[in-house]
Amino acid sequence: MSEILIKNANLCDPIQGINCENMDICIRDGKIVESVSENAEIIDAGGRLTMAGGFDGHTHSAGKINVGRFINPNDARRKLVPGLSGPEKRTEKTRAQVGYNTPNTYAIGYRYAKLGYTTICEAAIPMLAARHTHEEFKEIPILDKMGLSLFGSNWQVMEYIRDKEPEKLAAYVAWGLKASRGYGVKIVNAGGGEAWGWGKNVNGLYDPVPNFDVTPAEILMGLVEANEKLQLPHSVHVHCNNLGKPGNYETTIETMKMFEKVKPTVDRQSLHVTHVQFNAYAGTSWRDFETGAPMVSDYLNSANHLTFDLGQVIFGPAVTMTADGPVEYANSRLLHEKWSNQDIELEDASGVVPLSYSPKSFINAVQWAIGLELALLVEDPWKIMFTTDSPNGGSFVNYPEAFTYLMSAKKREQVISGFGQMALDRMVLPGIDRELSFYELAIMTRSMQSKMYSRPEKGNLKVGSDADIAIYDIIPGDIDPSVEHEKVKQAFSGAAYTLKDGKVVVKDGQIEATPMGRTYWVNAKVPADIDSAMQKDTDIKFKKYYTVSKSNYMVEDSYLPNPVEISTEGVF
Amino acid sequence: MQAVKLSLKKANKIPIEADTVSPDNFAGKTKEEIEAILAWYGNGQCPLGDFFTVEVEGSDSTENTKIVFDGDVSRVKRIGQGMSAGEIEINGNVDMHCGFGMKGGKITINGDADSWLGCEMKGGEIILNGNASYYVGSGYRGESCGMRGGKITVNGNAKDYLGEHMCGGEILVTGNVGLLPAISNNGGTIVIEGNATMPASEMKNGTVIIKGEVSDMLPSYKEDGTEEVEGVTYRKFVGDVNASGKGVLLVK
Ligand SMILES: [Zn+2]
Repeated sequence: MSEILIKNANLCDPIQGINCENMDICIRDGKIVESVSENAEIIDAGGRLTMAGGFDGHTHSAGKINVGRFINPNDARRKLVPGLSGPEKRTEKTRAQVGYNTPNTYAIGYRYAKLGYTTICEAAIPMLAARHTHEEFKEIPILDKMGLSLFGSNWQVMEYIRDKEPEKLAAYVAWGLKASRGYGVKIVNAGGGEAWGWGKNVNGLYDPVPNFDVTPAEILMGLVEANEKLQLPHSVHVHCNNLGKPGNYETTIETMKMFEKVKPTVDRQSLHVTHVQFNAYAGTSWRDFETGAPMVSDYLNSANHLTFDLGQVIFGPAVTMTADGPVEYANSRLLHEKWSNQDIELEDASGVVPLSYSPKSFINAVQWAIGLELALLVEDPWKIMFTTDSPNGGSFVNYPEAFTYLMSAKKREQVISGFGQMALDRMVLPGIDRELSFYELAIMTRSMQSKMYSRPEKGNLKVGSDADIAIYDIIPGDIDPSVEHEKVKQAFSGAAYTLKDGKVVVKDGQIEATPMGRTYWVNAKVPADIDSAMQKDTDIKFKKYYTVSKSNYMVEDSYLPNPVEISTEGVF
Repeated sequence: MQAVKLSLKKANKIPIEADTVSPDNFAGKTKEEIEAILAWYGNGQCPLGDFFTVEVEGSDSTENTKIVFDGDVSRVKRIGQGMSAGEIEINGNVDMHCGFGMKGGKITINGDADSWLGCEMKGGEIILNGNASYYVGSGYRGESCGMRGGKITVNGNAKDYLGEHMCGGEILVTGNVGLLPAISNNGGTIVIEGNATMPASEMKNGTVIIKGEVSDMLPSYKEDGTEEVEGVTYRKFVGDVNASGKGVLLVK
């Protein structure tokens, strides 16, 4: 039995409604408890800001990031954020580290932990390559992990939707999650990945996918029905159609509206829309491009059925990586950049393109502003997850910098003062004076994720929850984040303490221990007859089309050294 | 003036990573101090004195420090990396990454140089009296900007990818070069007195002059009259059109 007493913590735990109050936290065997014995080890938080461990619910940290690594070997030596990037020698406690946007697996674990984050969700697992994702998970220390499996351009999915076989579709989704050891359903540019196989794209929600005679709207509605039938812990996680195109905010709002009628079977949102920054563009071309954030925010303020994340842009080099193949082709042509393109056989497409966001580019400046506008114009922080869609908008190691944009209008002014007039004319950010509190920041970085992913033991420090805790070197009552934004950035860049399952993993910004985290996956139960009918169709796919056999496709148990199986009961 | 002479005690098989060997690091130091400077060797670091006999004459500033390698150092890498002033003379062959990222001063090599000579160089001069291998004056793998300034003279031949991703500075090769010199260039000047194959592919900017034969001239260049350089008239091509380039390629 191991016990820890954290004394004098200034706790900010929105799930319990605790807003920066001084209290003690008791830990026994990795869980929060009511009280501990006198033998408990004592950590004196000294009145410093204490939160549940951070939870990045949308990051590209295993799988596709590896393509980013090999097309950007130069990223290994980038040292743009001190202590959180570039080459670092092996120590007694840590392995060697490299990289900035595409760090090695060990560095991903260490650096998230230094920021006080303890859980991540890989945003895109191509099922065919799921073994690779889990191989990387295995080598990411400290963090608990989960991943979302790609279903949005999958042949069998589209056929079941076309043929109106919702039960088989649900059975296939359940099987796909099991095969890939995934946690939820990701849909990227529904139908676009398949269209890209023919060098085409789908232009919005009602443009049929070549050869399948289904529209993106039908794919979205079919998959959400399956998602709710299976009572999955997470809602469908959607990367909207028309990403990165001026004028796309209309498609985004239309997509969000479509889900108003969905009744979730689990107590959570019925839709999560990801990296909305890339999908909140107004204008008709890059010439008259401008922010669409006010329109999207207006809608989000009126809607209660969904959550979204930002995809905030960070100036400097980034690497875009997405299953949205046609977008990556467009990026590579537009920017004359390196381009990786992959065909995921019957499932989707995939692309990787490095780029650099510059405040001198009016387009990049407006993109930067849009992310912040969304965060500040949407009133309810429980709808918002903070992300940079790392490393698409920028590396997660810049989160502390981005927090200061949210918490300090002065800091924003500093950045905005470097923009040209054209950029200023196309954004609304300079007129927004809202500054987020630590409480609101905690919601966006850990608390809302608890509800969004149905992980009640995460993102809060209630009795019974996991003792994943971050203590930051800030005394909330003594600091004005609006003015002292540099101090805020400093504190969030290296936690005074990060505890994972009640073990100190970071102390004074340095790694103390590197335990292996868990991998969550969802096993959704399906009636045997429906499952076997669906399996027959799957067998045909493997026989006729896949380059691998079914038995070599499934992620085996040995790939998950520390699995947590979440079972759900399908409603059929 | 400070003169430092380094003689390899015995030929090494495992390369020595000699990025600490530069006038910047040696200036004002005694024989003992220089012998104690560490260099990577395999997975560990060893003092230079383990590898070299060190002779030092005088003591002076960086700009007045000259390092002479007496004999072949074909398994010694990164000599003169990042140097800002002073001089290095190598009397023999040298391994990869000689003069990597150098900012000033001069390196003279009386022998052949392995790949990545003067890679990401920003200033100063490299004179190679011998043949060069691949990627002279190029960028680090994956980087979009290679050599930015300074001058590399190769009095001999060079292999493929000469000046890859070069953004500035000058390269002169008196002999022949291999495939794809000046690939993806965005500035600078390359003069090749001998022959070249498929030059200036994806060049955005810069000037490439080829005095010898060009094999497999790329079709993605537009011919644009003639240009005279130092009394010689060349056919002028502009491109690479595939990269919307405005580079100038002058050929016979
Ligand atoms: Zn993403």
